[in-house]
Amino acid sequence: MRTKPKVLWLQAVTCNGNTHSLLCANPNRLELFFNSFDLIYHPSLTTNSNLLDVINSKIKIDYLLIEGAITSNTKFFSIHNHSVKDLLAQLVLQSKFIISVGSCASYGGIHKKFELNKDISGVKKSIDKKVLQKLKHAVINLTGCPVHPEWILQTMFILKAQGKISLDEENRPIEIYSTLAHHGCTRNEYFEWKVESKTFGTKEGCLFYDQGCRGPMTKSSCNKILWNEVNSKTRAGVPCIGCTETDFPRENMLETKKHIGIPFETPLGISKRAYLSITGVAKTFRIDRLRTKLIPDE
Amino acid sequence: MKTVDIIERIEGEAHLKLDWKDGIVSNSQIKFLNFRGFEYILEGKPALDALVYTPRICGICGQAHLLAAVNALENIYENANIKLEVTQKAKLLRELGLAIEIIDSHIKWFYMFIMPDIVSLSSSDYSQYNPLKGSKWLRANHKAGEVLKALAIIGGQWPHTSYMVPGGVMSDPTLIDIATIENYIDQTIMYYEDNIIGESLDNYLSFNSVSSIDNLKADLGDFSKISFENNLNNIGRSYDRHLVISDMLGFKSGKLKHINTSKININKIKEFDEYTFNAKAKKQQAKKYTWAKTVKYDNDFYETGPLSRALVNNRKFIKAIHKEFKDSAYTRVMARMDELGFLLNKCKKIIRSINISEDSFIKPEIKLKDIESATAYGSVEAARGALLHTVEIQNGKIKKYDVTTPTVWNLGPGDDVTPGVAQKAINGSTTTKEAKIILRSFDVCSVCTTH
Repeated sequence: MRTKPKVLWLQAVTCNGNTHSLLCANPNRLELFFNSFDLIYHPSLTTNSNLLDVINSKIKIDYLLIEGAITSNTKFFSIHNHSVKDLLAQLVLQSKFIISVGSCASYGGIHKKFELNKDISGVKKSIDKKVLQKLKHAVINLTGCPVHPEWILQTMFILKAQGKISLDEENRPIEIYSTLAHHGCTRNEYFEWKVESKTFGTKEGCLFYDQGCRGPMTKSSCNKILWNEVNSKTRAGVPCIGCTETDFPRENMLETKKHIGIPFETPLGISKRAYLSITGVAKTFRIDRLRTKLIPDE
Repeated sequence: MKTVDIIERIEGEAHLKLDWKDGIVSNSQIKFLNFRGFEYILEGKPALDALVYTPRICGICGQAHLLAAVNALENIYENANIKLEVTQKAKLLRELGLAIEIIDSHIKWFYMFIMPDIVSLSSSDYSQYNPLKGSKWLRANHKAGEVLKALAIIGGQWPHTSYMVPGGVMSDPTLIDIATIENYIDQTIMYYEDNIIGESLDNYLSFNSVSSIDNLKADLGDFSKISFENNLNNIGRSYDRHLVISDMLGFKSGKLKHINTSKININKIKEFDEYTFNAKAKKQQAKKYTWAKTVKYDNDFYETGPLSRALVNNRKFIKAIHKEFKDSAYTRVMARMDELGFLLNKCKKIIRSINISEDSFIKPEIKLKDIESATAYGSVEAARGALLHTVEIQNGKIKKYDVTTPTVWNLGPGDDVTPGVAQKAINGSTTTKEAKIILRSFDVCSVCTTH
């Protein structure tokens, strides 16, 4: 029997949200994952090994998955009395593929906002430059706060089958992050015709105009593959906060910054002129169907 | 002799330092060495952004933090005498989300964090409980994921949605959504009946004596059997003082100290940092050993969480178990799993009370941004117990934010004279394994404890 590729999950500065997101994966897919890979260590899940033993044994790790931001500051963060930056440096030398799971591991995420700790960053930035150059495969960033469980599984299964995965300029797998959160949103028709949600708590209208939705400028497949297999935030009425982009978290995330009544930022790659022209045209029509309730009051 | 053990398989990491005298733990320290500074991060941020930041304090109880933040922000309106209307429907949809998240947390905690330690005490074959591969472990994770789908229907996703907002909720479920949510709850009830209690939920909820423990068949039966073989019903006792700070999910606020009283005064909650590291200090004083703070109510240590909720609210089965075995590690675990049944039943009632024709959200007359200054608090009963957020805003921005988590009540350090709740429970242990199980019985969440 061929041995299964070994996976080690390191938890750094984190809320464990990516672990819980992974556990929400489709149960058949998750079981396939557990059967296809050998998860030798996960601090919340496994019982038969501890991290320092794994490091001391110099065992070869095929996939090093890191959840959480990295810091060298042991005043604020240590694992088994070591800095997580030091542990990461050791583990990187033992590992073939390095995958940052979530926005914190990818670029520091929310924890970068803790200013008393001057050294918080993502995995890639924390690895010694010389070591980084020698890696057989570039560090893979799976941004998202949290990451969607499928993004982990898709990446792992592609790497297992192909040995490599194409990355974008943020080191994210191109295929996963090629589409926008906006794609597949059930509110798309309201976006096309510039019909806004007047307030929170409605089934109708687009959240881009008032509620701060970042769907049209955020790369992710949230509305393509759905969350928990049933829904997405924007479908439910919760604006996208752009958590897969490296400028997350921003200020005033639940409202749209506007300039003379028009969203200050236009959809990705669409010029202001193009956007204003289309908006002007769309707004000259009053489409009653889009201005009435989807389900009439009884 | 002193020993230090690193505790994993909790949410995060903790160090358990034990002082031994004649083979018995004479003193203990629970050290949480990781600090992420959420209260510092929130300073200067727009008030509404707290709805994005606070759920990210914890990957497993983010909705409790979200609701505490929303309650605190709504309390700002109240304190400023600004009218704010929240419909019954919105309140129910918030409670439902919180209840579902607690259900998920209790299931995962039992199978992922407690049972691996419990079955290791037995020489019988309990390999079905093995992590990642055992059928019971996999089924538990599957079913926890299923019930979270019900939360995703109203929140869009789990973890980390911000669907609750001052004025209501952001989603507007249809009747199909409500029926689907009820389907997921019903499936979870079937799972609870068949796999956890081995009894119908209705029958189970009528249990009122300690002899009913013998009727438990399924996995809670396994747990009880191993617990009695290993004396878990006699270890882990603490002060047996209990605190519930919020009225929600069918829980009533109150405290139990010799007698049960329903009056709670939030102003009597005080935090101390005698043993707590100082984030701004270059060098820590020798006395300081953890990032967790100390918290007291009316100058006493109180336990919080499912056991406290069951006792303060007179839930019969747990009352009976408690009468016999006091606040033992066994009672604590049973209370948590009993609460799972209580909440599943409560979810059914919540779902049936939702009137979808009400508004989901009513826009507050004034934006938080336009409120000059205010201080407010919001409280919640979270999976692990009493959660309190206190916020001070100035010109719409957060000036100060303070989070007191359930795990601070249970796992925070004591004072110079008296040990904290979990310390007191651990002292007197005869083995490290015993001490660890007692610690686990409080449902340790290090990310919440230090935030």
